[in-house]
Amino acid sequence: MENLTLASHVDAINWNRVVDPIDDEVWDRLTGNFWLPEKVPLSNDIQSWATLTDDEKTLTMRVFTGLTLLDTIQGTVGAISLIPDAVTPHEEAVLTNIAFMESVHAKSYSSIFSTLCSTKEIDEAFRWSRENKYLQSKADIILSYYRGDDPFKRKVASTLLESFLFYSGFYLPMYWSAHAKLTNTADLIRLIIRDEAVHGYYIGYKYQKGLESQSEERKQELKDYTMNLMFELYENEVAYTHDLYDSVGLSEDCKMFLHYNANKALMNLGYEAMFPKEVTQVNPAILAALSPGSDENHDFFSGSGSSYVIGKAENTEDDDWDF
Amino acid sequence: MRELAEDRNVEDIIREETDLDYHALNAMLNLYDEDGRIQFERDKQAARQYFLQHVNNNTVFFHNLKEKLDYLVEKDYYEPEVLEQYSFDFIEQLSTRAYDQKFRFQTFLGAFKFYTSYTLKTFDGKRYLERFEDRVVMVALFLARGDETLATQLVDEIIAGRFQPATPTFLNAGKKQRGELVSCFLLRIEDNMESIGRSINSALQLSKRGGGVAFALTNIRESGAPIKKIENQSSGVIPVMKLLEDSFSYANQLGARQGAGAVYLHAHHPDIYKFLDTKRENADEKIRIKTLSLGVVIPDITFELAKRNEDMYLFSPYDVERVYGVPFSDINVTEKYTELVDNAAIKKKKINAREFFQTLAEIQFESGYPYVMFEDTVNRANPIDGKIIMSNLCSEILQVSEPSKYDDDLGYDVVGKDISCNLGSLNIALTMDSSNFGQTIETAIRGLTAVAETSNIQSVPSIARGNDMSHAIGLGQMNLHGYLAREHIYYGSDEGLDFTNMYFYTVAYHCVRASMEIAKERGETFAGFERSKYATGEYFDKYTDEVWQPRTARVTELFSEAGVHIPTQDDWRELKAQVAEHGIYNQNLQAVPPTGSISYINNSTSSIHPVASKIEIRKEGKVGRVYYPAPFMDNDNLEYYQDAYEIGYEKIIDTYAEATKHVDQGLSLTLFFMDTATTRDINKAQIYAWRKGIKTIYYIRLRQLALQGTEVDGCVSCML
Repeated sequence: MENLTLASHVDAINWNRVVDPIDDEVWDRLTGNFWLPEKVPLSNDIQSWATLTDDEKTLTMRVFTGLTLLDTIQGTVGAISLIPDAVTPHEEAVLTNIAFMESVHAKSYSSIFSTLCSTKEIDEAFRWSRENKYLQSKADIILSYYRGDDPFKRKVASTLLESFLFYSGFYLPMYWSAHAKLTNTADLIRLIIRDEAVHGYYIGYKYQKGLESQSEERKQELKDYTMNLMFELYENEVAYTHDLYDSVGLSEDCKMFLHYNANKALMNLGYEAMFPKEVTQVNPAILAALSPGSDENHDFFSGSGSSYVIGKAENTEDDDWDF
Repeated sequence: MRELAEDRNVEDIIREETDLDYHALNAMLNLYDEDGRIQFERDKQAARQYFLQHVNNNTVFFHNLKEKLDYLVEKDYYEPEVLEQYSFDFIEQLSTRAYDQKFRFQTFLGAFKFYTSYTLKTFDGKRYLERFEDRVVMVALFLARGDETLATQLVDEIIAGRFQPATPTFLNAGKKQRGELVSCFLLRIEDNMESIGRSINSALQLSKRGGGVAFALTNIRESGAPIKKIENQSSGVIPVMKLLEDSFSYANQLGARQGAGAVYLHAHHPDIYKFLDTKRENADEKIRIKTLSLGVVIPDITFELAKRNEDMYLFSPYDVERVYGVPFSDINVTEKYTELVDNAAIKKKKINAREFFQTLAEIQFESGYPYVMFEDTVNRANPIDGKIIMSNLCSEILQVSEPSKYDDDLGYDVVGKDISCNLGSLNIALTMDSSNFGQTIETAIRGLTAVAETSNIQSVPSIARGNDMSHAIGLGQMNLHGYLAREHIYYGSDEGLDFTNMYFYTVAYHCVRASMEIAKERGETFAGFERSKYATGEYFDKYTDEVWQPRTARVTELFSEAGVHIPTQDDWRELKAQVAEHGIYNQNLQAVPPTGSISYINNSTSSIHPVASKIEIRKEGKVGRVYYPAPFMDNDNLEYYQDAYEIGYEKIIDTYAEATKHVDQGLSLTLFFMDTATTRDINKAQIYAWRKGIKTIYYIRLRQLALQGTEVDGCVSCML
């Protein structure tokens, strides 16, 4: 058990003196994007769920338990472990938001389970997640860096988690949605992706910002470390992907997607891509399904989609009512 | 020469061998190629692969039409009564006529949507029994009811893409196992348990048969109102909404689409805030409404109060009904406002009017709801005797209603008049290309009238009665933006507005003329014609008193090149005289729906909106996430396809205002905002719309651009 150290002194946070405008921008984005799983009419997917084969159902549940584990790590350990390293008070505030939303994500998977599956099936899937060595090793690798004492390494681990490790799981609901299955579940996952995209970007940005003041030698050390960690995670992730997707023949397609996201994660950290273009040819249906923008046109039979945000309230003035 | 070479190139791409499935090819539409161009040819390739990989392998083969029809009738797929009205020779001729048109789906989504949602399938859902042409012929045979001329005209109009019946009609007509052909139902709920119980029953019955159902909740007593004179007993409108929501999710139309419903409440109902809060992001699960759509009825007085920054009073429907002897919805709140405020017998609450509008906008930000109906605007423009108290699921139906009364055994004491409406839309671009504009509209009106006449919803007597009395229909329009772009006119420009005005003006003339022709043939009008503004002639005043002509050279040219005659004052005078003599057959004629699915099949832009995006991402239960290019668009004319967010609310409202002048019912009008907008911007748009004489507002839609650094590389819909 590590010692708990609390800050000895705290200044009142002044949002009128924002040092880094990105803090402000990301805070607005994250709070505007606030959502709860109850908003998505998951029960509309029950019929669709019934059309999946048993293998497909098992796969889907395993994928979601895997994601639950990652979000739990990120919510209870990951984002919180970054707080002591924060440079500005606003960064701390953003990180608390990130931590909270990760917990919302973790709970969302439970909403999906409770809507679509029986308790026995759910317990079985969670048992699988505890016993799957690739999933556990992915969690262990990340946790070891969160527990370590290098703030830069923590950020790298966190960014790789947010921008890379989630995506072997995100692949499946995107695949389903492109094939007209579990479309409401996909809406919910897209809300999660919308958040994770911002989280990965933000933590990666803070990493790059911090790196600016470091020596060349240290920079090189961190770059080597990042590449090594990426490679370690990648190998494990490939094994995990085969373990999951071989039964339905989607492994190769999913791996393209991993490569694509590995490159994105590295870009978030300010590094060049690792995988060449030939192996990042993501199935266009998956890639297009990802778009975090909200141009989707859905009909009123299909729920509220993933496009609404909390609005900014502003009073009307007398001029507005001049008629 | 260069163009030819390029064309061949496109054709090669479409016919290219590929390992990708059609979903992947279709998705490439949303990704730029290496030169930054939109890959339209990939979508066409997707459509082709869809047929090669899927449709052709899964279509049941018949040697000839005779064998096919015999099989379909014998196996209970087709209604024999529809076919028995015609000789086999005629049916064969008609089928050949349809196939000779060489119809091809222009987009992947069009084909995909048709085969997943409309065509006749074997009972196990695995194999297709109809191609597009077969569906068109069956719809025409059904609607024409033995009239060979009309059947032929309908086939011509539908296969050419000028007229497209609404989903319930196009999906169901001629099938033996089917839902109703009517799109939309609107019912009143009165302030008693019998009426509420009936409503739940109606929601189930009507959802089972297809079509959206809307209810007016305005007359239900507020929470805290007395029951049997005991105070604080009623729990208001929220529990009723919950019951309705559950009813809709239980019943669906043979799995074809989920039941869907809307509820309307008057802005001056005391539960108005509770009603809106059901759509809050942080609403408690007990009160949260997920799938039910909300609408608010706003009278002029609410705007006046907000202008003066005063409080607005909310009135107990329970007390109002006791004081006036009529339901709250039938009171003109604008006119009686002071009287209601001054009456001590009416319990009231007050809220700040501007705060009300701001709350409305906040909820719209979070959920897109509520819809808005401007009560006084709607009723001023209503040519029919009676009051309009609500709209429907898509906010384009605006008709008068009458309350029902119930016996103790839950039977009807008085069967009221509730509303049903069947819809169909014209493709504006192709209708302008029609060799006979007037005939196209007349055929559409006759097709829609047939739906009204063949519908008899016995499970809801007030609907059946309303339909028998009114023969109401709603002819809609779509592909306005597609047409304007094809003609190199910007949406919302002066020429764009001029065209919209003249087009709807001309359509209105032919609608009334066609309905008059039907009345003349049948010797029958809708019930209450003599009390309508058509009978008094008041409807015609603006057309006979004013000269309506294009004000721009370009629009004059468009009409004259298309050979479309613009009705003159004399034409209108003549029509007015004929209507006075024969009446008209349909109580309501036009309503412009949002046209989702059918505009994809028809290769149109939706309704008279601008496109939401150059490449639209479409998501719904049955088709998943699919990409749709705007019609007539290529890499060289992209500038005319500015999307709704770029165009802004003013031009959209201006365009709708031009059309609204000539439409007797409503038009679904969605407003589009970037997420940087505030509630004030939404309020300004509402004020602008109300001032411009807009009747209803449908969804508010928001676009959030991906935060820089998080977007998907090369994604068309993220970057445009």
